Amino acid sequence: MASRALCVCVRAALRPLPRRSVAALSGAVCRQRSTLSTHAQPTPLLSKQVSSYLYKSCRQYSEGPPLTLESIAERVLYLTVNSHFMKDLGLDSLDQVEIIMAIEDEFGFEIPDADGEKLMTPQEIVDYIADKQDVYE
Amino acid sequence: MSSRLPPAALSLRQFLLRQQVLSLYRRILQAVRQIPDPADRRYMKDWARDEFRRNQTASEEITIRMMISQGLQQVQELERALKLARS
Repeated sequence: MASRALCVCVRAALRPLPRRSVAALSGAVCRQRSTLSTHAQPTPLLSKQVSSYLYKSCRQYSEGPPLTLESIAERVLYLTVNSHFMKDLGLDSLDQVEIIMAIEDEFGFEIPDADGEKLMTPQEIVDYIADKQDVYE
Repeated sequence: MSSRLPPAALSLRQFLLRQQVLSLYRRILQAVRQIPDPADRRYMKDWARDEFRRNQTASEEITIRMMISQGLQQVQELERALKLARS
């Protein structure tokens, strides 16, 4: 009896949920809810599990989507090994020369000018050194 | 015929000058690396970097050429001194 009453409540709560309010919300909640609502519409009976899930995600009135470890890491570490020194890291050509010199110091071999000026991401440097020092997987 | 290059692209002369500046910077850093005393090495490296940074915005070709030739003279002097110190 209680679960039936809960079902009725949930269906009532689900109905006034229009598309545009879904679109106005951002991030993970939006994705969760839109998949939920497309799931929920064809099936007339909602399981209790789904309804409690929906109830929880409806409880955000003015807060943004909740932070997860992954989303924080993604937003903080937007730099990767493929970040371009000049375009992404804001360095200039002088800095790039210094980086190449530091790499030469670190690995103890000389990188010719023509090769050095092409190395623009950490990954390229790694590949180049592996190539020159005959390091293979 | 209109150029397909973006407006910020360097002309050939500017590009060659830029290469000269970068290779001079490299040569200076390489020479500085051979200085035996760590404090002196550090001082010279900072000096070279500051000097390049200070004149980074220079845009006149004559000025740049003059600074390049000055830098070349200085680096040759440094290399000579280092060679003498080693022999």
